[in-house]
Amino acid sequence: MKRIVVCAAALALSACGTASWPEFKMPQLAEYTERPRSYLEICLEHDYLVRVKPWERAVLTRVDMAWAPDPLETARRNHTFFSKEASMPGGSAGGGGCGCN
Amino acid sequence: MQLRRRVEGKRESAALRALTTSALALSGLARVAAADAPIDEVYTAYSFSTYEEDELESSKGLPLADHGRYEVTTHQAMLAAPITDQIDFSLEVTHEKMSGASPWYTVPDAAGAPVQVMSGPTIEDQRDDFLVKGNYFLENARLGLSSGYSSENDYTAMNLGFDGETHFNEKNTTLSGGLALSLDEIDPVDADLYPTRPGHETKQSYALNLGLAQILNRRSVVQSSLTYAFGTGYLSDPYKQTFAEGGVFFADERPSSRHALSWLTRYRRHIEEVEATVHLSYQFYYDSWDVSSHTIELAWYQSYGDSLQITPSIRYYTQNEASFYVNFLPLGDTGSGDYSSDYRLASYGALGFGIKGEYSFRTPWLTDIGWKLKLSYERYMSSADLALDGPAVEAPGLVNFNVFSVGISAVF
Repeated sequence: MKRIVVCAAALALSACGTASWPEFKMPQLAEYTERPRSYLEICLEHDYLVRVKPWERAVLTRVDMAWAPDPLETARRNHTFFSKEASMPGGSAGGGGCGCN
Repeated sequence: MQLRRRVEGKRESAALRALTTSALALSGLARVAAADAPIDEVYTAYSFSTYEEDELESSKGLPLADHGRYEVTTHQAMLAAPITDQIDFSLEVTHEKMSGASPWYTVPDAAGAPVQVMSGPTIEDQRDDFLVKGNYFLENARLGLSSGYSSENDYTAMNLGFDGETHFNEKNTTLSGGLALSLDEIDPVDADLYPTRPGHETKQSYALNLGLAQILNRRSVVQSSLTYAFGTGYLSDPYKQTFAEGGVFFADERPSSRHALSWLTRYRRHIEEVEATVHLSYQFYYDSWDVSSHTIELAWYQSYGDSLQITPSIRYYTQNEASFYVNFLPLGDTGSGDYSSDYRLASYGALGFGIKGEYSFRTPWLTDIGWKLKLSYERYMSSADLALDGPAVEAPGLVNFNVFSVGISAVF
């Protein structure tokens, strides 16, 4: 019994001392009085996903960081590959799936 | 002499291209950092491209036949502009001229190996495509609506798309989704001359897309998206035939529906130390015709100062054949069931190499326009040897091609 208690205490101490564990905050009353959160927000919103602040986005707004820096080129290439290969391109709502290779 | 106007089999791609472009076009302009406002500048662009396929290798075609293939010249123009502080729009126009020959059917040679028979250089057609898209911006979201129309000699497509996105975690996480449909009609030319060609057919395509993007740090971002697509109606190629030993021809006959799932993951990283940005993407695809494929793409956007950017890229693609793909049918086959000898449904792999140069400059004396000149070249080579799971017999019609492109864009 004593050994179990010692082990549990050691585990708890080591866990608390590990910097990578998320910091536990007691919920404040104000958090409950704000608007109710949607299921999506509950699923997707986590402190560790807030990676950059607005003033740290200079590099992310570069044209060459865009998903499609050159829209006309992207359209043309997608069209070519779609015409010559059995697959259809993904990544957007497009992809009517011609099925007519 | 009667000019036989034939078209490349995959005309329906016009509609898909339009649908795909609609969602990509503005997301490209809006950039990755999830701006919740319309573009604040007018963007115009023009591009001219030539697509030219290599001649069919003489060992893969009929002796003494013309081995020339397909050519396309493409003009593209685009305009995107803000309308109000909550709405922007874009318009894209494409005009293409297609000509040349395309694979028709395959026959066995004396040793039983498949040989490609081409249509002959009779294809002569053009395509006009219009696509308009509008975005409406809310406090933490964007809603988009797009509509397009594509017209050819024998094919028309109308499409409609709806997409949207919203942000979480102080706009570090973006959830996006979209719905699209395309209603197409095909009226194959010379249907009276070729008994295997239908007179008038229709097809409908639907797509549903869901994606999640996450900013990883100040220099990198990742996005993963899933697209489900469903096609129904006439999904065969009216300009292809399947040869059965003994000298009988059957029409290209594919299932009347197709369910497809593709999973695309894209990664962007800027490396400040060397002034370069890396684009990496991977797509897995699977459909109900038993076609599965992998696509990996890597591009290196190397900047030299503020004006010049050189971008080499490489692309690898591999697919396995559709369940009903055949080079030709055996003697005595009655032509029941589904079958196609279209090389695009065969097992193969492909390697692509590209190089692009862009030069940017401003003309402050001319209402301060930001110009960009572009020049690019891409080479595509396909073969059964490049396939991850190569077939015993290579489809003889596999294509190699070159694409040259020049373009100019202006932001003001």
